[in-house]
Amino acid sequence: MIAEAGHYALVLALALALIQSTVPIAGARWGDVALMNVARSTALAQLLFAAISFTALVSLHVTSDFSVVNVYENSHSLKPLIYKITGVWGNHEGSMLLWVSILALFGGLVAAFGNNLPLSLRAHVLAVQAWIASAFYLFILITSNPFLRIANPPIEGRDLNPVLQDIGLAVHPPMLYLGYVGFSISFSFAVAALLEGRIDAAWARWVRPWTLVAWIFLTLGIAMGSYWAYYELGWGGWWFWDPVENASLMPWLAGTALLHSAVVMEKRNALKVWTILLSILTFSLSLLGTFLVRSGVLTSVHAFATDPTRGVFILLILCIFIGGSLSLYAWRASALKQGGLFAPISREGALVLNNLFLTTACATVFIGTLYPLALEVLTGDKISVGAPFFNLTFAPLFVPLMVAVPFGPLLAWKRGDLLGAAQRLTAAGVMALIAIALLWAWTYGGSTLAPLAIGLAVFVIAGAFTDLAERTGLFRVPLGTALRRARGLPRATWGSAFAHAGVGIALIGIVCETTWNSEHISTMRPGDVAKVAGYELKLDDMVQRKGPNFREMIARFTVDLDGQKLSVMTPSKRNFTTRESSTTEAALLTRGASQLYISLGDATADGAIAVRIYHKPLVLLIWWGPVLMAFGGMLSLSDRRLRVGAPKPARALRGLQAAE
Amino acid sequence: MTRKQRRLTMIGGSLAVLAVAAALVLNAMRDSIVFFSTPSMVAEKHISAGKRFRLGGLVQPGSLQRGDNLAVSFSVADGSATLPVSYKGILPDLFREGQGVVAEGALDASGTFRADTVLAKHDETYMPKDVADALKKQGHWKDDYGKKPSASAAPQPTQGAMR
Amino acid sequence: MTLWFVFALMTVAAIFAVLWPLSRRARPQSGGSEAAVYKDQLAEIDRDVAADLIAPSEADAARVEISRRLLAAVDDQRDPTVQSNVRLRRLAAVSALIGLPVVAVAFYLSLGSPQLGDFPLAGRARVADATQSLGSLVAQVEAHLEQNPTDGRGWNVLAPVLARLGRFDEAVRAYRNSITYNGDSAERRSDLGEALAGAAGGVVTSEAKAEFERAIALSADDPKANYFLGLAAEQDGRNADAASIWRGLLAKAPADAPWRPLVQAALVRVGGPAVPALPDSAMAAAKDMNDTDRGAMIRGMVDRLATRLKQNGNDVEGWLRLVRAYMVMGDRDKAASAVTDARQAVANNAERLRQLNEGLKNLGLDG
Repeated sequence: MIAEAGHYALVLALALALIQSTVPIAGARWGDVALMNVARSTALAQLLFAAISFTALVSLHVTSDFSVVNVYENSHSLKPLIYKITGVWGNHEGSMLLWVSILALFGGLVAAFGNNLPLSLRAHVLAVQAWIASAFYLFILITSNPFLRIANPPIEGRDLNPVLQDIGLAVHPPMLYLGYVGFSISFSFAVAALLEGRIDAAWARWVRPWTLVAWIFLTLGIAMGSYWAYYELGWGGWWFWDPVENASLMPWLAGTALLHSAVVMEKRNALKVWTILLSILTFSLSLLGTFLVRSGVLTSVHAFATDPTRGVFILLILCIFIGGSLSLYAWRASALKQGGLFAPISREGALVLNNLFLTTACATVFIGTLYPLALEVLTGDKISVGAPFFNLTFAPLFVPLMVAVPFGPLLAWKRGDLLGAAQRLTAAGVMALIAIALLWAWTYGGSTLAPLAIGLAVFVIAGAFTDLAERTGLFRVPLGTALRRARGLPRATWGSAFAHAGVGIALIGIVCETTWNSEHISTMRPGDVAKVAGYELKLDDMVQRKGPNFREMIARFTVDLDGQKLSVMTPSKRNFTTRESSTTEAALLTRGASQLYISLGDATADGAIAVRIYHKPLVLLIWWGPVLMAFGGMLSLSDRRLRVGAPKPARALRGLQAAE
Repeated sequence: MTRKQRRLTMIGGSLAVLAVAAALVLNAMRDSIVFFSTPSMVAEKHISAGKRFRLGGLVQPGSLQRGDNLAVSFSVADGSATLPVSYKGILPDLFREGQGVVAEGALDASGTFRADTVLAKHDETYMPKDVADALKKQGHWKDDYGKKPSASAAPQPTQGAMR
Repeated sequence: MTLWFVFALMTVAAIFAVLWPLSRRARPQSGGSEAAVYKDQLAEIDRDVAADLIAPSEADAARVEISRRLLAAVDDQRDPTVQSNVRLRRLAAVSALIGLPVVAVAFYLSLGSPQLGDFPLAGRARVADATQSLGSLVAQVEAHLEQNPTDGRGWNVLAPVLARLGRFDEAVRAYRNSITYNGDSAERRSDLGEALAGAAGGVVTSEAKAEFERAIALSADDPKANYFLGLAAEQDGRNADAASIWRGLLAKAPADAPWRPLVQAALVRVGGPAVPALPDSAMAAAKDMNDTDRGAMIRGMVDRLATRLKQNGNDVEGWLRLVRAYMVMGDRDKAASAVTDARQAVANNAERLRQLNEGLKNLGLDG
């Protein structure tokens, strides 16, 4: 009954989405308040049914009901409970159900907390949201239904793949989805604005929190995915420019651009048409990411061609939504009124520059990701566009962007004073120069680029704090006054300073890891000592151990620094006999922001073992940076200005009750 | 500045950035794109020594030899040709004789493929896609390699008839 | 019954969600407006000036700009004509009352399986016992081996069962484990090779071939390995090699070996001197005939098979044999028409149709 109830709830959600996608538009067209309000109650009800459906699937996985094909194929009664739950979205059908559930969640949130929106705008936004939802409900029900049954259920499920039983892999897809799907809201707002034919500064303020939420989750999701690859794959690599990663990076770049252009729109009523386009592009790239990952195009163009139902369906959704919204844009955008004026050198100008570089960088990633696919379809030639391509195109575009970052917040709106901003950044510039000089002296004869890049990063971080210091008048006014001003500073200002500093911190991590990473690969016997970056690692012994369903060889290393014993590291290699697969469990030793990283290779016949040891200086900064960015985003989200006309609790509560 | 001049500045700046980006992309495309080959394609095309490419195929069973200090050599075959490969380093977890592999590197003067990377990112059911496609093209694979046989698949005519 | 009750409840809730706002009295302008945002922006500027965050001149400029927007927003009020459109509302209500359940039920009945209850594992462990299917036994053995992977005997039992069930990938793994824990033998190697070939859809891949070669190295006379090596040669297009391998196999085989007919049939396929599916006596007779007579005899047998199948078309194996025979005789047109006939004959039985397509695929005719 659980399975069937979940299935029926999904069907009902589709039916509700169909009503939600039509009735409110008619209401807005003929000015009927009640019809427009249908959007809200149906969005909440749709959330309820999507949640029932998803909960049903989770409980089917937990109870190992193998009469459900999805559970039979992707679960096993011996899996630990946590992986039974995370296994729900470890497969295609379940992950698509999670996708629509998150879509319904965002729709429900707009319905519940969108009291500050004009009625017709809210009706339009929710209707557009329901178009997307209907398309994906249909996709799930027709091509990837997770609730199909087997009449004679088998006694055991088929999947117990050890590689997938990892907590990092389990948590980051939902994060990424929250990001991807979150951008559907700004898309819906953009399409709604085009449908209504009116857009102004207030629009930007209404969209901003939703864009921020999506951006925060996407930032964290990407960072987590990268850290997972770093510790789990045993290579110590943290970014591979793999198409799946690029699929998440592209919406992030476009979304970051969107956040910045929305600021211009909110403050100056300018860049309106561009902001709308960015909203559409960001979500289109999210859809493209879903298509790339879900259609099988990446695994093999042949796999796509032999079982095309799913791929073609998603491609169809992609074409309808991207093509449709862009045509609507081409048709209606010229009708939108022009906004405020500004000089090229001004805060607006700086943000335009930011947008220009971010979107161009996004375009290069787009080309690098899709060019091989296009070439293979057209000519049959197979090429791989790897890290060198992206390093050669992406990095040169990011350098000028980083140089410009500290200037932006210091320029005034409308007409800025570049010289004045430069003067105020003198301290930051001097700090950067000192950093470069020190590093140059210290790593004399080494890389020339690395100190420059770190100098740039220091400049960005110091620039972010210069901005704060300038606004609070730190060092100019008495400390007490400065503190008082700091308290009065809008949280969004704090947020952007932290986010910008986060970019600099991540850059330091990236440069240090790639330049001064020391690597030691050799075969070692018990008693052997390896010296890496001043650390002495002695292989004490190797022990065999038996786990629940694997055998494990653990190597124990004693780590010494300057003759002092620091710690013991135990990397291991697990053999899952029944599945004839092995996994490498790397051992990490964190020292400040740096890490020692050991992973094991194959054992040789004479008792030696291949060992890979890395010392990765300041590697953790690569992930602390994005975390700081996300923190900045959250500060900005908590800004009181974003809660203009926020719903009074009593009214929101009534809205919720309505749906039940 | 008039509105028009401002707009021209803006458009000019955008075009400049786009032009730079296009130049970067084209430049990178020329230098950093690697083609994919199988051993028989290598034999046909006479790829010159030192040119980087990706080699894909099956690891010839019995060809894996481990030397001193993590040096490994093995042969990659695609049914009609084989190519010796040498590599120094730790092979990925899923590297096995008889399984698909993709290696990146270049040929040396003696015709041995010197790999600097052996790709690891495929699991037990997932064949590196380039390898699967290439083998399929040559008719060594009838069914999609990655497809799991369903539990109820009928036994093949060649099966179960012996003993 | 409970299930339908739950469905009804859910449907009512969904309909209610649509009807509820329709039934409410319209409160004009219950949403927010641009004006609220601009008023707030003005207040914010005042705050910033008070906190000394922006200069008074900047503040004035910003105030002017925002006021202008505020005026425009008040002028251009949204939803100027709030009205209630009774006809539209009625239409919406009808679509909720009728359209929603119809869409939901139509979709659900075509996709769902309301007759099936839940089968959580915990509830099933008790009932399963005497009536256990092969599948559940396999699952139990697998679970046992998951815990005790070194139990060689278990792998020995499991592997052939998996192969027979068509779960070749798992069978391959099981045979490998069996070799690891029971030791190497020609028999196990050739079984492994057979499973590998099965996993590749009947194609003897180079990987499978390697296993058969190892089996031969262990015991040169292993019949299965020899048979499959012949098959590999045939699949590579080396028919002469295949024939010589199989002929050698037959020469050494005991007269009553159960697999003789299979090898003989294979020999015929590559142009050897035997005939498929012929009883020994007929074979002996055929040996003495000249080519024309032998051709006539084969055709006679094939025709008899065709007639039988026309009367009773349920025999999938028969159809496959017929198609194969036409192909061996080089009569592609007849083979094609036999395929069409076969499809028609079994069209109303999904399981047989699948078997047929599967078999045809193995003959190299795409299903």
